[in-house]
Amino acid sequence: MHVELSNVTKVYEDPPETVTALKDISFNVNEGEFLCIVGPSGCGKSTLLRMIAGLDRPSSGEIRFRGDPLTAPHSKISMVFQTFALLPWRTVIQNVEFGLEIQGRPKMERIEVAMDLLDMVGLRGSENLYPKQLSGGMKQRVGIARALAIDPEVVLMDEAFSAIDEFTAEALRAEVSDIHKKSRKTFLLVTHNLPEAIELADRILVLSARPARVKSIVGIDLDRPRASTDSEFITIHKDIFSLLQAELENSLMRHRLGELQEFKKLRDMEDR
Amino acid sequence: MPFRLFGPRAFHRVHDKTRRRFRPPAWLLSLIAIFAFWESISASGLIATDQLPPLHEVLLTLVQLAVTPFFISHVAQSLANVTTGVSLALVLVLPLALLVGMRSQLDQALTPIIMLVGALPDLAILTFLVTIIGRGNVAAVAISAFSAFFPIYFTIRQGVKEIPADYFHVASVFRAGRAQTFTKMILPSIFPNLMTGLRLSFEFSWNVLLAVEIIASVAGIGTFISTNLGSSTHSLTYGLAAIMTVGIITITMDRAFFERLENRTKRWH
Ligand SMILES: Nc1ncnc2c1ncn2[C@@H]1O[C@H](COP(=O)(O)OP(=O)(O)OP(=O)(O)O)[C@@H](O)[C@H]1O
Ligand SMILES: [Mg+2]
Repeated sequence: MHVELSNVTKVYEDPPETVTALKDISFNVNEGEFLCIVGPSGCGKSTLLRMIAGLDRPSSGEIRFRGDPLTAPHSKISMVFQTFALLPWRTVIQNVEFGLEIQGRPKMERIEVAMDLLDMVGLRGSENLYPKQLSGGMKQRVGIARALAIDPEVVLMDEAFSAIDEFTAEALRAEVSDIHKKSRKTFLLVTHNLPEAIELADRILVLSARPARVKSIVGIDLDRPRASTDSEFITIHKDIFSLLQAELENSLMRHRLGELQEFKKLRDMEDR
Repeated sequence: MPFRLFGPRAFHRVHDKTRRRFRPPAWLLSLIAIFAFWESISASGLIATDQLPPLHEVLLTLVQLAVTPFFISHVAQSLANVTTGVSLALVLVLPLALLVGMRSQLDQALTPIIMLVGALPDLAILTFLVTIIGRGNVAAVAISAFSAFFPIYFTIRQGVKEIPADYFHVASVFRAGRAQTFTKMILPSIFPNLMTGLRLSFEFSWNVLLAVEIIASVAGIGTFISTNLGSSTHSLTYGLAAIMTVGIITITMDRAFFERLENRTKRWH
């Protein structure tokens, strides 16, 4: 087992409120697997990924990586950000080198690794540009290259394609799928885009509305590359969509109930 | 090819000519106009020369002063004091402003107090400070540091608060330690704010220092100005020339140093 989560619960104490973001989450990720995580908005997907990145600690429960408890960022776990999070004062190649620079690797090695990766993501020739000179798609290519530069075993992606126009995102997904196939690294992608998850995932983890629990884990046994027009693709989409829709209705229902109670309170106060 | 009088080539020639002609900047024209106005007023005798000396005399004195060791040492003293003061403020404020920018509880505890101190009348406090510490260079440095404190504090605090959370995540995910997070992430992030803060605080504490030099007669260019203003026509010319020198120093520092540094950051912003 590459990454294991057992009974992970996350409670945010923000007095006077406490928000339970995740409740008793348990699942495993296999080595070399592409796991996508979907769930209603605000259910705690980013929180989950942040904890695997070691940026945040569970309130209870445990996360293990290669069998060892994970409590801080690990040198073999890397991340791609929705906001790209490129450092604007660094050029493209300097951004890709960032992780290696932190590790204190020699300059020649850093440049070699970074140039290879820039080649792979189609950014050769742009290495001396600053992030502000890049399009969204190019920025995320740099983000991906930066994540891969430290030669991670696990790549975490939080909505990595959400801030990019659909046309470019499609191309980028194909590239990531290709990188996954060649490198056999483990990928975890959080997304709210269901077709995206079905296109990329070996398995899809469906979370419930907040507090998030594991609603279902769906294996996607389709040949790659996958076309969203395939009948099987459409069937899987329908199934997961109805799961999510039920969740959405649940949470909407709870939300409405809450509103109703608020409304009653207000009315009672006015009556008095 | 047919001969064309008004073809594109002809156009280019005309265009190039207009480009090559010297165009003085607009501010230079206004400056010349103001100087001419000044000169003509003192020439006409509308205002007596012991109240407004002719401009050419002031400018002449300025040039003379610029090579007078006594004057130069006063200017150098003030500049050294203000530079030491601002540097001292920076060393003291930087860690504090960074902490406050990152820890909102500390911010809530400290910033209101600092605002309160900042709201007190500077010149009164500073004059009071002189009566305690005395009139030496120590007082001048303390005064510069005190006035530089607030602009640096608030600009750096703001800069740290504006660092996107994901930059901190990047630093953590790639396992930067405290020192590396500071040098490779926080410092470059706040660099533009740091420049603005230094620029503002230099200007501010330079002005305050001169004022305090004049009010409390701490040695420096301020005292040079105040002892020369008012007594006779001759020394009024000296005073005005010294005031102009201060203006020229301020602008030069601003343009030659701070603006350049700020422009460097424009490459990536
Ligand atoms: N640092 C924090 N302090 C307090 N509450 C937080 C914090 N981070 C997240 N939360 C809360 O936890 C819940 C889950 O947030 P999270 O960002 O993980 O959801 P998400 O599924 O990624 O949402 P989205 O689909 O909008 O990206 C939200 O209700 C959020 O308000
Ligand atoms: Mg999220």
